[in-house]
Amino acid sequence: MQRLKSIDDFKALQDRLYTDRDASISSIVISAGTCGQASGANDLIRATKRELLSRGLAERIHLRITGCHGFCEAEPSILVEPQGTFYPRVPVDAIPRIVEAVAHDAVVEDLLSVDPQTGAPIAKQADVPFFRGQVRTLLSRNEKVDPIRISNYIENGGYAAFVQVLERGEPSWVITQIKASGLRGRGGAGFPTGTKWEMLARQPDGRGKIVVCNADEGDPGAYMDRSVLEGNPHSIIEGMLIGAYATGATEGVIYVRNEYPLAIKHLVIALRQCSDLGLLGESILETSFRFDIRLVRGAGAFVCGEETALMRSIEGRMGEPRQRPPFPMQRGIDGRPTVINNVETWANIPVIITEGAERFSQTGTARSGGTKIFSLVGKIRHTGLVEVPMGITIEKIAYDIGGGPRDRGRIKAVQTGGPSGGCIPARMFSLPIDYDSLAEAGSIMGSGGMIVMDESTCMVDVAKYFMRFLKDESCGKCFTCRKGTQRMYEILDDISSGRGTMTQLDLLEELAQVVKDTSMCGLGQSAPNPVLSTLRYFREEYEEHIRDHRCRAMVCKELVGAPCQTACPLGTEAWRYVAHIARGEYEDAYRVIREANPFPSVCARVCSHPCETHCRSGEAGKKPIAIRALKRFITDRIDPSAYRPERKNGAGEEAAKIAIVGSGPAGLTAAHYLSLSGYRVTVFEADDRPGGMLVSGIPSYRLPRGVLQKEIESVIDDRVTLQCKAALGRDITIDGLFEEGFRAVFLAMGAHKSRKLNLEGEDVEGVFPAIQFLKTFNLNGKQSARGRVGVIGGGDSAVDAAGVALRHPEVQNVTIFYRRTRQEMPAQERDVEAVLEEGVTLETLTTPVRILTDHGRLAGIECVRNRLGEIDSSGRRKPVPIPGSEHVVLLDTLIVTIGDIPDIEYMASMGIEVTDWGTIRADKKTLTTSRAGVFAGGDVVTGPNTVVEAIAAGKKAAVMIDRWVRGEELKQPVTPRLPRVYVPPPIDAEEAVEGDRVKAPTVAADSRRRSFEEVELSFSVEQATCEARRCLRCDLEFTEPREDALPSAAAGGAAW
Amino acid sequence: MVDLKINGLHVSMPEGSTLLEAARFLGFPIPTLCHMDGLEPYGACRLCVVEIGREPKARLVTACTYPVQEGLEVRTASSRVLRARVMILELLLASCPQSRTIQDLASAHNVRQQRFRQEHEDCILCGRCVRMCKEQMMAGAIGFRGRGENRSIGTPFDLRSEQCRLCGGCIYVCPACQLRCTYNEPEKAICGGCANLSPPCIEKEPFDDMMCYMSPCVACEIPKE
Repeated sequence: MQRLKSIDDFKALQDRLYTDRDASISSIVISAGTCGQASGANDLIRATKRELLSRGLAERIHLRITGCHGFCEAEPSILVEPQGTFYPRVPVDAIPRIVEAVAHDAVVEDLLSVDPQTGAPIAKQADVPFFRGQVRTLLSRNEKVDPIRISNYIENGGYAAFVQVLERGEPSWVITQIKASGLRGRGGAGFPTGTKWEMLARQPDGRGKIVVCNADEGDPGAYMDRSVLEGNPHSIIEGMLIGAYATGATEGVIYVRNEYPLAIKHLVIALRQCSDLGLLGESILETSFRFDIRLVRGAGAFVCGEETALMRSIEGRMGEPRQRPPFPMQRGIDGRPTVINNVETWANIPVIITEGAERFSQTGTARSGGTKIFSLVGKIRHTGLVEVPMGITIEKIAYDIGGGPRDRGRIKAVQTGGPSGGCIPARMFSLPIDYDSLAEAGSIMGSGGMIVMDESTCMVDVAKYFMRFLKDESCGKCFTCRKGTQRMYEILDDISSGRGTMTQLDLLEELAQVVKDTSMCGLGQSAPNPVLSTLRYFREEYEEHIRDHRCRAMVCKELVGAPCQTACPLGTEAWRYVAHIARGEYEDAYRVIREANPFPSVCARVCSHPCETHCRSGEAGKKPIAIRALKRFITDRIDPSAYRPERKNGAGEEAAKIAIVGSGPAGLTAAHYLSLSGYRVTVFEADDRPGGMLVSGIPSYRLPRGVLQKEIESVIDDRVTLQCKAALGRDITIDGLFEEGFRAVFLAMGAHKSRKLNLEGEDVEGVFPAIQFLKTFNLNGKQSARGRVGVIGGGDSAVDAAGVALRHPEVQNVTIFYRRTRQEMPAQERDVEAVLEEGVTLETLTTPVRILTDHGRLAGIECVRNRLGEIDSSGRRKPVPIPGSEHVVLLDTLIVTIGDIPDIEYMASMGIEVTDWGTIRADKKTLTTSRAGVFAGGDVVTGPNTVVEAIAAGKKAAVMIDRWVRGEELKQPVTPRLPRVYVPPPIDAEEAVEGDRVKAPTVAADSRRRSFEEVELSFSVEQATCEARRCLRCDLEFTEPREDALPSAAAGGAAW
Repeated sequence: MVDLKINGLHVSMPEGSTLLEAARFLGFPIPTLCHMDGLEPYGACRLCVVEIGREPKARLVTACTYPVQEGLEVRTASSRVLRARVMILELLLASCPQSRTIQDLASAHNVRQQRFRQEHEDCILCGRCVRMCKEQMMAGAIGFRGRGENRSIGTPFDLRSEQCRLCGGCIYVCPACQLRCTYNEPEKAICGGCANLSPPCIEKEPFDDMMCYMSPCVACEIPKE
């Protein structure tokens, strides 16, 4: 292009570019920023070029290669203009179809993004939820512009703002405009840009003033500056030109980190183009204005983002902040007045000039105008760059734009501002985001990093991570910052590895405060923010690490060991039996399982498997090891006689009589372990057979009765007496038991009363509480459901009730009504899937509001549809009824499964305290109740809970009762359960291919629909070996090969 | 002249002077460690922090580097200042307990114990030696290297600098090693001063294998064989 000699020349060029543009031609826009290129955008570009050329479409369809559009998670993506069709994650082989569709003005439906709620395809980019909630002032320009073509930029209105300013010839007008726009520094501190410029403009000229673009973006997880640099470098140059003109600066510096090669490449090209065109250099457009920009590359020190350190770095010295005052405006680079602004700030300048300050200030809040780009990363469904108006709530960003939590997680907190920022807990998500509100909440805006954290993020670990970063990145000049960050890291490391003390926690807080107070620059002053904010909002997590040696997020390695073992309420060494299975040592595997759990076959079928939930193989989008199915494989294969528990010969005190009320998993487990210790145990059961919920609640197609019976019989030995049809409150009393000579009583009656909907007509014929429905069928075989069946609820018993009802011969169809979405259903995902396969219908976001009756019999229900509203205290979106969506569903049977409570109204009269929830009040750690000698555990304490939790309670009760009878202290010191036994990996382990999770075989859905035969089948040997070999073997980090000890379950490492 | 208030007292100082000078002019004691008359103020040790401004915008700054400003209100011994000072001394003691300078400062502020894991470092990176070498000895032989916890003082690539004239000025001004505490034993000939420059020679046994580039060591006068 020819050098422009005047403003008129520029306008002529602009006109020429405008007229040349043909709006009717379609363009395929490929986003090829660093994120796009990393996901394969370059292949798409090549394929598209080839396709367009080979089909002779190059004249009809244009290809534009641009920087990042923001939806980094959907890269490589294609946008078709002018239709605005958006294709996420485009595979290379789909290019011909897309080109074909563009040529015929059509869309490729199966490549479009999908609405998460309705499942319908979304064609237009503007309708994609991720883009819908944004105001993309800066980012939308990235789509329009090929960053290496200045003509492209000018064609889209580029440099018009600068020429406008030049024509007007009033530097003070520019400053008034910027001041009126309310633009505040986007680098994080939020200093009003206009005021800054005004101060520079007032400085005497001296040796010339300098404007600097701070592109040293160093926060982990933040990359909005990069995308602007890569995608639209001319907008920054234009902003700096305007800034230089307004302040009288003659020199410009762009300080960009060397880790951004693409940004540097595009900047260098852009700067050269500007020089060639006469937009930079001496006498720009032949006016008296002169300005030149040079590029300085930073070596990657985080502290060089601080302005005084950045100036020193530009001067060629060590990046080390210095005392302000004097401010850079007074004495900057080489002593010359300097103004430093962030990339985003500069990019906003042309927008303000073109659109007008007033229009700009209308977006955002009164105190900070415009939009801000956030880089949304972490445990969230959609990651990428989001541009939103200032003052938007975190909730909107995280849930509406970000799509909410990933998988079935719950968002716990959002970390803003990078290492210098803090964590905002979920309960504060309605906080509008601007500089001041975030500072008040203990965080900072920072450059705009936003890291979303869910329950699998440990807040101590987060603080530790950032502190490690800061202790490495502190410049080291201020003693408090250098040593303070080191010491804070040291304390955090102690806490996360279980060596911490409560006094250290206070010291940490004290130190953090002093570091904040006494450090000179922003880095040191904000370095304690991650610690202080996590301490402020998540102190209980710190205390849990210190006091209970527990990391609830299963992150801190020294406390967690192998997550599968720590997650198991029974402490089953899952890693160990999986390792044995991989080696083919099935008997050893059985012993490991049985040692921790007296109901291995039951758990192998119905356990909620927290081990799999926390399995490290399941991280990063992969599938966890199928631990439960492997357990099933072993229990199906090995005879229980492989394991003989050690039995103590009780005498004297130890042969004391213990009463257990309830013969569910909790009661029977307690009986088993007490009997092993030598006690004489009597189990009282209200029903006519033992098993509790295992037999009355769980349908036999999930847990065959034969298997259950065998396991129950195995724990009832000669020291255990079973007394059925003896209910507490009806047939026996606690006083009576003590009078009979029982030394201690364990209450484990479970929760057998269904909660009510509190709707009129709930007692009519045809409406059943879930427990009653399941119990009458499972115990007596009575089939109470018929016709059209509705099930209300989303828990395990809802799914079980639906599955059982479906198997009744008189039932036509079964529908589950749940008020939230499927993602939030508490029932096990796999079970839900199974009943849906069998033909149950699931109606989510539906709540019953009225029960319709006809002559004293159920006729149907009136339901209302919900939409997801605000976030409630559980971190889930609250279902909000949609007015006018009421509709009637005709039903013949209604099963209500909205939770169970213990049936224990008589308890208070026996001197046992009951909670407001209707459960027994018992100490979590010792299981003691308000009455001496009476212990309680299982569902009767926790409310409806899992089988494995009940077994754990029974196990704990046995230990506690034993200690109580012996007169020992009940509380035990907590120690992390770390792997201790070394199991060598299979010799040919390295050859094991990385495979997918093996799915347990099941009976085909249509043949199981009417059958109560077991649905899930066992693994074959090949399948089991394959699956077990996928294990990452977290244990090997803690164990060492020992020559003297052979790997077997007998060789130590008791699981409890 | 600039008028300001320190602990409620008016004082007029010439432009360009520091808060430390102003406070000393009035006789308010402010402990210092990295500060040294005759060397450019640096502000590394943060011990001389004072509180300026009014709540809620009050903040701590180092008196040695902060220039006097018209109308500034300074408090040299507010509770916030004292809390910070005590913590800084604790951190110093935790890192460099053998320095008599630090011990004296600590005991003057009633700090008798520190609550961190004890370290025995020979350098607190106050930069006195660096400034001495550059500003007074006009050599610039040593300087800071690295950042964060890897920051250290030394010569480029640990080679003996041609700028170094072995004047010993660096050791003369060092607060960490110059009066090395010898506990209850009489002062020894070995000062440990050379240990201030990494790699330390003090841990090398015997001394004839010293890696110190100073021969003889200026302070302990053990010649390198």
